[in-house]
Amino acid sequence: MSSQTRPKLLWLQSITCNGNTHSFLNHPDLFLILSHFELVHHPVLETAYTMEDLLQKKVSCDVLILEGSFQEEGFLKDGVEVSSLIQYYAGQAKHIITAGTCATFGGIFKQKDPAAISGFCFDLEERTMRYKTYASRLISLPGCPIHPKWLSYVLLMIANKRQIEIDTLHRPVELYGYTVHTGCTRNEYFEWKIDTKNFGLKEGCLFYEQGCQGPYTRGSCNKILWNDTSSKTRVGTPCFGCTEPNYPQESLFSTKTNMGIPAKMPLGIPRRAYLTLTGVVKSFKIKRFTERLLDYDK
Amino acid sequence: MKIAEKKALKRESIIQTALQLFSTNGFHKTTIPDIASKLKMSVGNLYNYFSSKDVLAQEIIKYTSEVLGEKIRVVNMTEGTAEEKIHQIVTIYFTMAKEKPEMIEYFLRVYLSNREVFSDGCEGMVCVSGFITEIMIFFDDAVSSGELRNQDFFSAFGLFMGYLGGMVFLKGEGVLPKEIEKYIDDISLNIYNALKV
Amino acid sequence: MKKLQIKQLIEKIEGEAELDFTFSEGKIEDVKINFGFYRGIEEILQGKDPRDALVITPRVCGICNHAHLIAAVRAIENGYENSGVKVELSSKAKDIREFTLACELIQNHVKWLYMTMLPQLEKYVNQESEENYAIKATYLSSIITKALSIFAGQWPHSSYAVPGGVTCDPTHLDVMQAQSLVKESITFFEQVMTGVSLDVYLSIDSVSSLHEIEGDFGKLLYLLGSNEMAEIGQSHDRFIVFGDSLLSRSGKSIVTTISNVESKYVEEALQEGTLAKAVTYKQKLYEVGPLARGMVAKTPIVKNLHKRYKDSLFTRIFARVHEVALLLNHSQRLLETLVLDEPSCVLDANIPLFEFEGTGVVEAARGSLIHRTTVSDGKISQYEIITPTQWNLSHGNQEEQGIAIEAMVGAASIEEATFIFRAFDVCSVCTTQ
Repeated sequence: MSSQTRPKLLWLQSITCNGNTHSFLNHPDLFLILSHFELVHHPVLETAYTMEDLLQKKVSCDVLILEGSFQEEGFLKDGVEVSSLIQYYAGQAKHIITAGTCATFGGIFKQKDPAAISGFCFDLEERTMRYKTYASRLISLPGCPIHPKWLSYVLLMIANKRQIEIDTLHRPVELYGYTVHTGCTRNEYFEWKIDTKNFGLKEGCLFYEQGCQGPYTRGSCNKILWNDTSSKTRVGTPCFGCTEPNYPQESLFSTKTNMGIPAKMPLGIPRRAYLTLTGVVKSFKIKRFTERLLDYDK
Repeated sequence: MKIAEKKALKRESIIQTALQLFSTNGFHKTTIPDIASKLKMSVGNLYNYFSSKDVLAQEIIKYTSEVLGEKIRVVNMTEGTAEEKIHQIVTIYFTMAKEKPEMIEYFLRVYLSNREVFSDGCEGMVCVSGFITEIMIFFDDAVSSGELRNQDFFSAFGLFMGYLGGMVFLKGEGVLPKEIEKYIDDISLNIYNALKV
Repeated sequence: MKKLQIKQLIEKIEGEAELDFTFSEGKIEDVKINFGFYRGIEEILQGKDPRDALVITPRVCGICNHAHLIAAVRAIENGYENSGVKVELSSKAKDIREFTLACELIQNHVKWLYMTMLPQLEKYVNQESEENYAIKATYLSSIITKALSIFAGQWPHSSYAVPGGVTCDPTHLDVMQAQSLVKESITFFEQVMTGVSLDVYLSIDSVSSLHEIEGDFGKLLYLLGSNEMAEIGQSHDRFIVFGDSLLSRSGKSIVTTISNVESKYVEEALQEGTLAKAVTYKQKLYEVGPLARGMVAKTPIVKNLHKRYKDSLFTRIFARVHEVALLLNHSQRLLETLVLDEPSCVLDANIPLFEFEGTGVVEAARGSLIHRTTVSDGKISQYEIITPTQWNLSHGNQEEQGIAIEAMVGAASIEEATFIFRAFDVCSVCTTQ
């Protein structure tokens, strides 16, 4: 395919840590995916155009990837308001991908100045005034950072001119229809309400004490593994709900409970149903769950 | 009336009769023929409903837990304050102790004193989950609304239900000088004060 | 004499910086380095649970996030210890942390070599090749971060280090997978980066045997040498290392003397015209990073290069790439000797400590990274992050110019100066958190 017919891809950064950029660089098929596009500018990869060309609006784009939180005024690159740059390129793009929770909902950097900083088309879960203008072309890919394969899915769907099914927050259903809990290797402990005794153990579920938000966080981290290898919960780290509009919440390493009852229920589960099951399940002592999986000391 | 409905009614009348006999005469002294004769039905037919005395005993505890749970559920659905809800729950409990003493008596004198009967099939809170679930929901709501102090479930549950159970026990022993409903206001306030933020 | 001012936007340095050059008589006399935007991570942390820093601070930087995690966890552990809680990590937890950190450094250095140094140098000396260097960089970095994520769950932005240890509890199978990924990385180092076996490479200790290095690193060294770039980019020749690590102990190096350091003498100051804060140690400027580590550790080849070329661009670049070899070698050893039948985490998940102050230091890819946490009433009341780039890129003080500025002074062109600048492996996002 000649560069004339390939869609022009622009990766534009706003208020960010570059985590999404580096996450995507880990994709094992990075250059194969990029070969479907003409990369006009990118934060770290060599490109035909420079940042100055970008700032002078000499570049055009068909697919815009946005990384970082949005601020209408006060975030400049070389004297140019980045917000105006984003809106200029978003205006001409056929597809706008907000890569990461910052660009999608506001994310961590929103907390610096909640009134002024938000996502591009969403402010937490609320639609921003820009939403209407860009909604028809918008794909949300929240995650702190994004999973490389989530982005490649969207890019390849676009390259293959396929329709991407999205939910009300514009997240691809194929990626965010699952919860992080789906595929967690500790699921058996969740089913039987066995909490882990501490960090650093193979056994036990992190939902009851350690703050794991997996059961109510949308994302396929335990289905499409990180670095083709693992996930937070698989190495005993709680899910921090990094794909959710209200990320980051407070006290990420402990579960908020009311009289020992998790304050937040697994996604879509009525509290009464959850507590009924809990009461029943907790009444049984399953010997296997009181033992270690592997005991090297034996 | 359909056959299924008739059977359900019959099942409930067996439970209620057995409940009464178990609580007044004791679990071990009451036999299946006793229950059957009181119901004017054959022993064989009774076994069609419950395969053993132990199974019947377990069904009764589930039944009472659900009756009590259903009433507290109504309270949980209201918009009242935690203090009001405590008052309502205490009222439900004491009213039941007065109007259907056999239910509470059954819980205290049969369920808690004959654990071996319940060890297989009614482990832990399995058979009382109808009631426990509603108490959990009450606590959860009251803590999220900032009315009750957050703490371990059992430290709060023990205080609440242990207190009520103790009063009904005293009533059963005939040592309470006043009618039990006269204690509702004070006891509700005591519980609220102990659990509030 | 007329002075000439030229502004230049430098991009693809984990963000951007604006360099404001002052030329006098055809040479650079002064440079102002301006970083645009303050994101306020330190402020965002205020009022949060102390452990939330383990999730929030990695988001300072997409490329050295893991170092931020380790600094953050060490700050909390140090705070616990200052309040009388003994924190004695198991050797298993210590080694796993060292391993994952080493992986991140390798990832960083290789990306910098292939995505910054080689293409920029080729451009500068007008010998551009058709090579896709980025594909090499991402090949290696995705392999080595895969090894990292076996233990840490993911890269970037893991939070698997918690007070008292790590959250993972690996099996022998996990270790074997990591070993094979490290082996694959070593093969890349040998066949693509240097053209010699790791053992042979590590035995190189004199300047005269540098010619043994082939591959892409060899090409870089050749281009530097043949374009008379070996001696440019010298700075104040003072080095500091705060974190004890596999690469070096802590200490400072001035001329040939190595002495001890204490992080309490580190001071941060606001600078005019930029949102980056400057840091000094007892009011003096120091260079941090791989060259500093090589000097303090007295790594033979680094010392010998320094003897010949001082703290030049050449020595600086060499020291960074050299760390890849050292780290691959260390990583291999760490995995070989990793003991699995020890606890992963020695502290309870909830330590009832509501008032403490702690400092955490780590040797990140670009040098010493320091986190300071102050906790009162169970919440973070103050959080301070001092990044390596703040040391190297400060404006300087009344007595002298900043480290990178001094290195650029005397350069005859903006192209030369910016190459010297990029050799410091500049990270914009870390500089203005």
